[in-house]
Amino acid sequence: MFLQLVVSGLSFGSLYALIALAMVIIYKTSEVPNFGQGEMAMISTFVAFTLLVTHGYSFAVSFIGAFIFAAALGVFLEFVFLRRAKDPNILSLILITLGFQMVLYGLASWKWGADQKDFPFPVSDFDVINIGSAVISYLNIATLLITLFLMFMLFLFFRYTKVGIAMKATQQNAMAARINGIRTNRIMSITWALSSMIGAVAGMLLAPIATLDPNLMLEPLLKGFAAAVLGGMTTLVGAALGGYILGVIENLFGGYISLEFKSIVAFLIIVLVLCFKPSGLFAKHYVRKV
Amino acid sequence: MDMKRDYYEDIQLLNSKILWFWFIMLIASLATLPFLLPNYHIYMVNYMAINVIVTVGLNILVGYTGQISLGHAGFFAIGAYGTVLLMTNLHFPFLLALVCSALIAAFFGFILGLPALRLEGPYLAIATLGFGMAITQVIGRWQVFGGRMGLEAPDLSLGPFVIDTDRQLYFVIVTIAFLLILAARNMMKTRVGRAFIAIRDSDIAAETMGVNLTLYKTLAFAVSAFYAGVAGGLMAFLLGFINPSSFNFILSIYFLAFVIVGGLGSIFGSIMGAVVMTWLLLTLDKVQELPYLGAVLVSFSERWMNLAGLPNIASIIFGLIIILLVVFEPLGLYGFWIRTKIYWKTWPF
Amino acid sequence: MTNNNLFSVDQLTIKFGGLTAVDRVSFRVEPGSIFSIIGPNGAGKTTIFNCINGLYKPDAGSIIFKGEDIVGQKPHRIARKGIARTFQNIELFSRMTTMENLMLGRHIHMKTNVWTGATFFRRGSKAAQDEIKHRERVEKIIDLLDLQSARNQFVGGLPYGTQKLIELGRALALEPELLLLDEPSAGMNSEEKQDLVFWIKDIQDELGLTILLIEHDMKMVMDISDLILVINFGKPITEGKPEEVQRHPEVLKAYLGEDEVIDQSA
Repeated sequence: MFLQLVVSGLSFGSLYALIALAMVIIYKTSEVPNFGQGEMAMISTFVAFTLLVTHGYSFAVSFIGAFIFAAALGVFLEFVFLRRAKDPNILSLILITLGFQMVLYGLASWKWGADQKDFPFPVSDFDVINIGSAVISYLNIATLLITLFLMFMLFLFFRYTKVGIAMKATQQNAMAARINGIRTNRIMSITWALSSMIGAVAGMLLAPIATLDPNLMLEPLLKGFAAAVLGGMTTLVGAALGGYILGVIENLFGGYISLEFKSIVAFLIIVLVLCFKPSGLFAKHYVRKV
Repeated sequence: MDMKRDYYEDIQLLNSKILWFWFIMLIASLATLPFLLPNYHIYMVNYMAINVIVTVGLNILVGYTGQISLGHAGFFAIGAYGTVLLMTNLHFPFLLALVCSALIAAFFGFILGLPALRLEGPYLAIATLGFGMAITQVIGRWQVFGGRMGLEAPDLSLGPFVIDTDRQLYFVIVTIAFLLILAARNMMKTRVGRAFIAIRDSDIAAETMGVNLTLYKTLAFAVSAFYAGVAGGLMAFLLGFINPSSFNFILSIYFLAFVIVGGLGSIFGSIMGAVVMTWLLLTLDKVQELPYLGAVLVSFSERWMNLAGLPNIASIIFGLIIILLVVFEPLGLYGFWIRTKIYWKTWPF
Repeated sequence: MTNNNLFSVDQLTIKFGGLTAVDRVSFRVEPGSIFSIIGPNGAGKTTIFNCINGLYKPDAGSIIFKGEDIVGQKPHRIARKGIARTFQNIELFSRMTTMENLMLGRHIHMKTNVWTGATFFRRGSKAAQDEIKHRERVEKIIDLLDLQSARNQFVGGLPYGTQKLIELGRALALEPELLLLDEPSAGMNSEEKQDLVFWIKDIQDELGLTILLIEHDMKMVMDISDLILVINFGKPITEGKPEEVQRHPEVLKAYLGEDEVIDQSA
């Protein structure tokens, strides 16, 4: 039982980790928690669904199409709305992302209706293998592997590519980066595109387990935030670890304490972490100067 | 004009005869309104008045104290469920049940306010978002709250009066809204309100001037939650039936949109924002019935979108309004109003 | 006169990471006097104020106010005990009027709570009486500082010098026994500075306040201070009367230009 809960917790956790990563990448550059993250992923997943089911393209074409859409969406939102804010204090930035959230939610519900759809996926959720006493589906394994692969790629990206390093520089000090010839505006756009694509991966991995409807990402959004807060909003590794930890804790809570209230675990974790270690488990704490 | 010898004038609600006149006119027109309007419009006005209560309360938190809440649907739900449950299970009279459940909401607000002490904007937004979602979850899964099926509002009576039409309900809702607006206005003119605004403008200075940040930040949450609780309790009777899906995350953002549209830190703005946006919301619910535009949208939906999903256009429009206002007119309708007033004062120059 | 010890700081030390911002600073302020702290930028002057205020918690040392160690207490408690301050970079409530800013200074003396505040509807109500009473007090401060013309204006749009004065007024409204002024003359022109000196002296005479002052304008410091403490890199260099401090070789070396000294003696 315990092993089973941990294994499936890790699988869910990797989805939370992806969403958390997507958020943290944006949070680090724009200092805004992106409340539109979930809906951006949801609508990209719907694009994949439409290409796949309505137009009958292959998985490869549909998924690539969805990624391109996701990237374009990210760039669009950053360029058209976020950059226009006159006096970008935290409240207005948060409000703008909430605005995205509503627009995208409305668009998806208008276009695809609220009825639930089955999202086909090349890997089955029903074929399973046994690890000791635990059962794990191919889809879960695929989720874990894809996530780990993505994280590894992200690591390489931030470590070795020019754009990745420029992104890190912008995150640490936008002004200095700009003075040193980095086009911070372009970096911002790329950040949003990257984040949106990572979110889309999470959406497409989640959709076959859940059912696809416009509410797909509402709860995972909160889980992603919880993971990010748990790990620390300013560290990528922390956010990923936070995702896994949250997935496991949540599953254990559901298994041993109360299945009914499993979904308030995320909220409790947010509040507890914020009360006792506001900077998260894996991030340094910065004190604001007076 | 600056020669004020009487300090009461500074805080007085109506400090001239003309204002008294308009005030009495306002009360008179509010009292006669339900006899002039058709039934559906009374329902709409009730809806507006309830949203005005939430919006004024949320503005105390967001606009005046500079905090943020993405979980006000949670307090709203506590008020609604609390009132209904206290009346059906414990047979509380209506007003007592309403006040009690609003106080419960306030208590939850106080608790939620505690992490707010250590949190800055983004974290607080996340925490309150989590709160709102958690409340909906708990209500949806716990049988006491009727689970997914929801609860029916009990019969309503005030003393000897039985209230079972929207017109009768109007008097209850509008009176309460009116009193709560006055209370908010008074509060903002006196010591507590000043402390809220001081925290918003400079929490460090407020603290060094003797304002207890812990107390006042949690107090702002509690007061704001109280307003949402009262509104929720009234909403239960307007709808006659409540279920968890009426109190989702989207509702919290709608409330925030009311505040933004009206203008941060203005009670008059909150009233305008809630009224205009509620009207828009209810109109967009039946968007296909609008002349011309409705037909265009219907054929557009059939061609490109999905007709069943058409009412969701409200969400798109609300989202766009939020974004555009934040980008172009952060003061909202109130700012617009002020500028129009100045414009007409100096017209034609 | 050891028995009327109003305010003293003993061995105050605070570190930020590896940096010791304030290093074993001690001093004692006589009631009714003006005590100035001077030193180059970054010497730790404002940090000392922040410790006194309770905004920072010092790592070691004690701050005694009216016989009680106030280290570790919350800022609002310390304010209640009778310590008010102004800030180096103005920290006014910019979207409140001058009157409201000063009324906030009366916060700790007022009694209105949520309930009485929300429900006053007549002149006789408690909250209304409270407001009227304290507005009278605030009006006196407005008169004292000549702020009548700014009374009902939002402070955000007022000139810098006026804002500085309002901050001073707000601190006075708290009726402190100890007033901390952090560079009150910064950004003022010479005329405004003269007025300020006049006001500070006036306040001290009229209200019997004890004033702790951080200031860069040497003329002003030498003019009004009873005692001066010089610090650099968080460490105390010397303490004494203005004329003593002026001649102290360390001070000349570390802080004052030769010209300044000549100016002073001229």
